[in-house]
Amino acid sequence: MADEKYADYVKAVQKECPEADAQEVAEAFAKYEEEFYIPPQDAMRSVLRRFKSGTGPTPQSSSTTSARVTKKVASLSELNGEDRDIEIEVAIITHNVRDQTIRGEEKQIAFGMLEDNPWEENGQRTRWDYKDWGPHANLASGSIVRIEGASVNEYNGKMSLNINQSTRIVVLKEGVATLASSNDPLDIADIPADGYICVVGRVLSSRPDQIHRKDGSGSIDVVRGRLADGTGSIGFLSWEPFEHEVGALLKIDGAQVRSFRNTPELNFGRTTRIEVFHDASFADVDTLSNEASLTISALTDGLRDVDATVQITDIMKRTFDRNGEEGFLWSGQIADPTGRCRISIWDNLPFKESDLPVTVSIRGARVRAWQGIPDITVDEGHQLTVLEVPPWDESMDLSELSVEVPLPEVVGGASRVGLKTDGIVVSVRDDSGIIHRCTECRRVLREGACFDHGANPGEEDIRLRLVMDQSGATAALLVNKEASLTVLGLDEPGLKGIVEEHGGLGFVQHVRGLLLGRRVVVSGRSIVDDQGAMILADACETRVEDAQMKASELRTLWGWA
Amino acid sequence: MERARISRQPAHLLLASEFGSATLHEKGSGEYDPSFVITKLGAKVNRVVAAGLLERLELRETTNGSTLYQGQLRDPTGLHYFSVGDYNSETLRELSHQWLERIDDGEPLLLMMTAKTRWYQTDEGAVYTSLRPEEACVVSREVYANWLLDACESTHERMTAYTASLEVEPTVDAYRRANLSVSLLSARQHYGDIDLEPFKLNLMQSLDIAEGRMEAATTPPPMMSLPDGDAAVANDGTSTPLSDYLLQAIGHLDQGEGVDFETVIKNAIAKGHVREAAEASIETLLESERIVEARFGWFSVAPSD
Repeated sequence: MADEKYADYVKAVQKECPEADAQEVAEAFAKYEEEFYIPPQDAMRSVLRRFKSGTGPTPQSSSTTSARVTKKVASLSELNGEDRDIEIEVAIITHNVRDQTIRGEEKQIAFGMLEDNPWEENGQRTRWDYKDWGPHANLASGSIVRIEGASVNEYNGKMSLNINQSTRIVVLKEGVATLASSNDPLDIADIPADGYICVVGRVLSSRPDQIHRKDGSGSIDVVRGRLADGTGSIGFLSWEPFEHEVGALLKIDGAQVRSFRNTPELNFGRTTRIEVFHDASFADVDTLSNEASLTISALTDGLRDVDATVQITDIMKRTFDRNGEEGFLWSGQIADPTGRCRISIWDNLPFKESDLPVTVSIRGARVRAWQGIPDITVDEGHQLTVLEVPPWDESMDLSELSVEVPLPEVVGGASRVGLKTDGIVVSVRDDSGIIHRCTECRRVLREGACFDHGANPGEEDIRLRLVMDQSGATAALLVNKEASLTVLGLDEPGLKGIVEEHGGLGFVQHVRGLLLGRRVVVSGRSIVDDQGAMILADACETRVEDAQMKASELRTLWGWA
Repeated sequence: MERARISRQPAHLLLASEFGSATLHEKGSGEYDPSFVITKLGAKVNRVVAAGLLERLELRETTNGSTLYQGQLRDPTGLHYFSVGDYNSETLRELSHQWLERIDDGEPLLLMMTAKTRWYQTDEGAVYTSLRPEEACVVSREVYANWLLDACESTHERMTAYTASLEVEPTVDAYRRANLSVSLLSARQHYGDIDLEPFKLNLMQSLDIAEGRMEAATTPPPMMSLPDGDAAVANDGTSTPLSDYLLQAIGHLDQGEGVDFETVIKNAIAKGHVREAAEASIETLLESERIVEARFGWFSVAPSD
């Protein structure tokens, strides 16, 4: 039977290995096809090898190339954080002068943005901030200059250029500030994380505030508030007097965007031009306030003047002692259909604890994040309004809600709780399996000692440490004990049995056999910070598709059916 | 600070043909900047998830006395070359050892691996890509089929992006606006216009296999190109699979100066042909004037009339 089907292949094999038995060769082809989905043409080489030791090409040996950074560069991307005394030709995009007190001396410095590759039209350009400590009189916006002897500054992964007093500036093309980029108003939703921009928006809120200098040398009067257009809203901080009332429609040119924690904010300074703008069709305050109300998924650390409608699912009073004075706060869990997070209320509740769950509308709150989880902080009870009915389907159980979020969004967004996502397991870390945690802080012990608490008897726990990828995004994945056992299909004694028999690394390889390259669906919470994204999963399952169904689905989808 | 910038590179699901046909390399100037291979479809890969039949695995001694396992992994579209050396974990070397014994016993093994991509250029200018596995395991055909489908989906996404890019002005800004990756632009500039048909055929073949439609996925046996085989080299200059392949390879690799002899031969061997047959076939092609030797040892496809 089998030998007939593979007759041509058997012949081909026998041509090279005349002594091979036709029946055996045919059986080998059948095995590859039936057990491993390897069609005969792909199995050919392997079968041949079995019947005759074959020869094959060999991959090449290794070679390494290392590039040396030269100080004279054509583009900013060639620079790294340690470079000193560099030379580059750039276009000056913006140039601002400001007074700054340096070591007790009032001094002028200049700052702004510059762009490399100034000569090529429509070429790829990189934009950096610069600071000119000179300041050099011949530096002006719109000009193209050669900077000789500047140094690179790197802070929190952001690169900028320091133009020192000793730096030489050679003007190659006089500045005509033709770059109108900052004069085209941007939609608020499109505001970048930093830079100088122009925006048209309506004032949603505004209040005077003070910023205290860290060194105790006094405080600065500022105005804080929120600005909105049809696409979104953004907080602002004005360092200059700001007397526009709530509802005023303004065109603001030359506002600086700065990110506080994870949240961009507009800064108005001396060089910012603010004028009243007239547009009868611009949305009014009420509409904008409603639209500016945020969902939990959009909360980021450092947001201020936040309006939101949420359900409080759980609340607890906590008291503390501060300088001999007793204080309290209410701390709890909140949810809306986009996710869950925490709330802290530093005042009496406008409802009874026994009324939970309660839907409230929150106005003017701020957001702090603890362990990456947003926490809406409400300072005064009047910021909360209890709603009779939630604005979403009342029958939704929000306390157990898991919102499905694609991995790239998890990685690109803020930390959140109650999420569900899927991806391919690309790594099973060697420290998966049985671990010991510090009895004081739950940190994993290394060689019987805790980083903070020293030698510790430890408490046994089980976890998997994986890496999952999806659509070009990558996240570390920590699976808790219960979910680990479930996904491996083991109970605790079973798992220990494998570890005892094969050792810790043998166990890890066993896990790879079950999970590597497999698609998993996980739920839990995420922590996103400078180190990347981490998902703490309390549920994890492998998703095995029915290959036949999926293949026909793809064919239909691609029009190949 | 330095560490925070070096984030883990995501893994791409790549079929062997897409990775194997890539020749473009990209690496930042910093010492620790990751290195990437950019494929014809614009995938910029530092790490892949590959799967397939372990077709060959051999232990080699290198000149400095260390040991190296070299192997090849076959999926429906072609071969991945990989090596496991002393720099790899004990676990992976131990596994390689076990697998070597198992395939020497003729046992078929389906492997799944995550691997770093390597790019290498010989002094003559020939470009090779290969994989350095980080983690690997043996999988069942169901898992393999699932991986194949995921890999097909991600390949198809890149094909769609490629088609979309044909309408887009070739600048970084225009690509960004069109939501296309900058690496696709680099690919377009490096590879020029490419033919999507082979990729489509690869996907169809892979879908058939994932579905278990083995009859559909089976093709007639290749002519094994034996040096003394009567069918291997047609002396009258008509087509054989080997000569067709050589013509295609020379046409493809030719960057204007022709392709050197060793490169042609190496490519033919990589495709499963025998060296002597390939050499003989080049002779035949020369005699029948379907290729020309512009200068000694360098070949181009003869201009058609």
